[in-house]
Amino acid sequence: MLVTYDGKRKASGVKIYLNGQALETRILFDQNTEPIHHPKTPLRIGAGGGLRFLGSIADVAIYNRALAPEEAAAISVRESVARIAAIPEPQRSPTQSAKLAAYFLETAAPQGIRNALGDLKSLRSERQQFYDSIPTVMVMADGASRDTFVLKRGAYDAPGEKVTAGVPEVLAPARAGSTDNRLGLARWLVDRANPLTARVTVNRFWQSYFGFGIVKTVDDFGAQGEFPVHPELLDWLATEFMESGWNVKALQKTIVMSATYRQSSRVSAELLQKDPDNRLLARGPRFRLGPEVIRDQALAVSGLLAEKLGGPSVKPYQPAGLWQELGGGSGYKQDQGEGLYRRSLYTYWKRTVAPPYMTNFDSPNREQCTVFENRTNSPLQALDLMNDVTFLEAARKLAERMMTEGGSSPAERVGYGYRLVLARAVEPKQRQVLLNALDSFAISFRANAGAAHDFLKQGESPVRTGLDEAELAAYAGVASLLLNLDETITKE
Amino acid sequence: MGGFEERVRRMTRRHFFGLNSTGVGLAALASLATRDARADASAPKTVHGGLPGLPHFAPKASRVIYLFQSGGPSQMELFDYKPRLREFQGTDLPESVRGGQRLTGMSATQSSFPVVPSKFAFAQHGQSGAWVSELLPHTAKIADRLTFLKSVNTEEINHDPAVTMAQTGFRLGGRPSMGAWVAYGIGCETEDLPAFCVMISNSGGGQPLYDRLWGSGFLPSQYQGVKFRSQGDPVLYLSDPRGFSPDNRRQFLDALGDLNRMTAAEFGDPETNARLSQYEMAFRMQTSVPELVDISKEPAHTFELYGEDARKPGTFAANCLLARRLAERGVRFIQIYHRDWDHHGNLPQDLPKRCKDVDRASAGLIEDLEQRGMLDDTLVVWGGEFGRTVYCQGRLTATDYGRDHHGRCFTMWLTGGGIRPGLTVGETDDYGYNITKDPIHVHDLQATILHCLGIDHLKLTYKSQGREFRLTDVGGTVVKSIIRG
Repeated sequence: MLVTYDGKRKASGVKIYLNGQALETRILFDQNTEPIHHPKTPLRIGAGGGLRFLGSIADVAIYNRALAPEEAAAISVRESVARIAAIPEPQRSPTQSAKLAAYFLETAAPQGIRNALGDLKSLRSERQQFYDSIPTVMVMADGASRDTFVLKRGAYDAPGEKVTAGVPEVLAPARAGSTDNRLGLARWLVDRANPLTARVTVNRFWQSYFGFGIVKTVDDFGAQGEFPVHPELLDWLATEFMESGWNVKALQKTIVMSATYRQSSRVSAELLQKDPDNRLLARGPRFRLGPEVIRDQALAVSGLLAEKLGGPSVKPYQPAGLWQELGGGSGYKQDQGEGLYRRSLYTYWKRTVAPPYMTNFDSPNREQCTVFENRTNSPLQALDLMNDVTFLEAARKLAERMMTEGGSSPAERVGYGYRLVLARAVEPKQRQVLLNALDSFAISFRANAGAAHDFLKQGESPVRTGLDEAELAAYAGVASLLLNLDETITKE
Repeated sequence: MGGFEERVRRMTRRHFFGLNSTGVGLAALASLATRDARADASAPKTVHGGLPGLPHFAPKASRVIYLFQSGGPSQMELFDYKPRLREFQGTDLPESVRGGQRLTGMSATQSSFPVVPSKFAFAQHGQSGAWVSELLPHTAKIADRLTFLKSVNTEEINHDPAVTMAQTGFRLGGRPSMGAWVAYGIGCETEDLPAFCVMISNSGGGQPLYDRLWGSGFLPSQYQGVKFRSQGDPVLYLSDPRGFSPDNRRQFLDALGDLNRMTAAEFGDPETNARLSQYEMAFRMQTSVPELVDISKEPAHTFELYGEDARKPGTFAANCLLARRLAERGVRFIQIYHRDWDHHGNLPQDLPKRCKDVDRASAGLIEDLEQRGMLDDTLVVWGGEFGRTVYCQGRLTATDYGRDHHGRCFTMWLTGGGIRPGLTVGETDDYGYNITKDPIHVHDLQATILHCLGIDHLKLTYKSQGREFRLTDVGGTVVKSIIRG
């Protein structure tokens, strides 16, 4: 009995041989999410799926590669090569012949043939490496289509009318000769005669800059959706977008360089009354940043941000015990070093126990698709920004920057921190509030060195040496203040 | 509160209640005013947050305590007494009863489905004559105050979809949970605590739970249940960092307030003022929450009611006591999860342990609420996501058996605000397998709970992904017969 497996996620990669002959297999589950060579996956012989082999096994051999069918045939033969050679050719079994041929090719064939064999092997492996380098998507090719029916009232066992693939013609008819597969859909989606895709797309970018789309119901352009507040603008942006060759960067540039976007966010009580959501765009946008941006910003201004791109998700700080409380198991194993400081888009997301920081700041729950993030304002957000180690550590590192890069006087240092966080110069009245806070923190930390020491111990990054602890703690308090400002977590 | 009121003044009505409003609101995480946190059950409560026009009619209950028994407690051993099972013992479940029903993958491959009666004795209790198992002696004592629903049913046969169904009205994740709907619809009666609080009690094992069960789904996140934890901070990030004293925090908040007020003056955005008050709320939560979870001042007779377990943080009993303290303080929806009711095997040994965890404290909570005059307007719900099969899963021996998941009928009980006590509603067949009278779907139960709170489940909707959604999906009928007149 021989089983070969090419290490891929498809059942077709598994072949089973009995006495050198490939067996027909029936595929029950065509996926394998944990490849066999995964270091933590045990290799079980004679067990699986709750079944156990009863009996004894005389001999087991494991090869470090998937044997080819002819090799499979060869190794099933017990007789030595010499013995097979002694059998007259017509009397040899096919597997015996295969073993002999394999031996001949590897050891006794003319050099040219052996070289060719070596080349074949390396070319096969090269081809395999090429295939392996192609990322896998859910559907790699159109398979055979099966009959599909409307299921009456959604019941899986109550098929109704038979339906076929096609595009919603009410929006735009498919072009003559287009195919009814994914390629046809893709072409229809971006057809110049179908403006919907471009309108929906530019509307969503608009939302990300202004807080609301030109059509407020970003996920609904249908009969129940809202009518665009500026239909000509939407149409113009969509047309420009298509004509630019769907150039996303150019679209962003058009929006952010517009006079509309560059307006001040300041609003009068009268205007607020008339247009609370700023749908008419008489002012610049002002709304709370999303959770990822708030954290990334804190990491960036403190100098902690690890700018590495790509790679697997990371596990930054999280209060202890959250995973075990709900799911048992060994729980969340927090990263160390760089993994703590990567951008939030790399944060590991366990859907059943989402990172609390993300949930507090309205990150969608990943249960359903959504194109609009709510923006609430809650005391949990305040507690998070004040007491989450992520922000306390960032505050301490920002304080170190203020003390070492910001100049020598408290006023300069506070101004430097302010500029790092808010990208503008501090005004005298704000500076005075910050300096007063600095003084009162400094007084209490000087009076209690232990407290200063404890307060600085937030996070895993080392405390910069050579700085006075009480003073650094006082600056860290001010830095935390800066990271908590309404203006800091608000886009304006 | 100035921030909030000012915002209301400065906003049009349409904006405030419009879809996707940035919605400050004082809802799930309500304002914390300076008033004394101590509860006063008799004082009229002010409602914070909620939608205009709600409640739709006069509520019978002001709050809900939902004692969720996760895993699927066996109705066969606890409430749904089936004397004829002795006759059927060991015989195969007739196909006429099973009716071709799809079974879970865990028992579908069994070659036989031997009927197994409860190993535990039943007796009738109180004037109502309700049947309760010997495993729940304290519950039995208060049987007259409870209303048993023996015909609750669900289509789901596995934990994740069934619990999600029970808590959000839909088998797939993504919908708001019941408590979030309630917080969104009718706000809360406290200025000190979240409208929707969740506690998970220790049971040593059991099926995992998920954030989505108390999540806000597509509703704004301020309506999500806030988890009160028995380890670390009771509410996440509640404690100031070591070394940062309350005085430091006060100085910090004063400076933050000054700076934010400057921003508010400069930009005129009401959100800035709202944020100011949220920081003050957070500061007050730092006092009110530790006070809430500190049970050291509870008198000795409290622990006679709930049992000595109530002194151990994280037990079901301790959480029941906290539930009462939350209820006293005006929290709208309190949800406790107790796990490990999933007795596929070894049921005769394991089920009594779970019953012991919850029996005394469940009954104690009811008595405590009654003594404090709070039972009249506090709806208490007890039950799991489904029941268990009459047939044995795995090997049936003289001393051991197990039961698989069964959604066709299971038993829950309700009491308190809005509920006529001492009733038994719904009947099942002699096998306890199918409902023979008055089926109550999970959506019906949800509609009934909302009804007790003065909410018409058909009218509390929220638009998402292009259509209106409600807790009860496309179903739900209020079980009028159990509603107090």
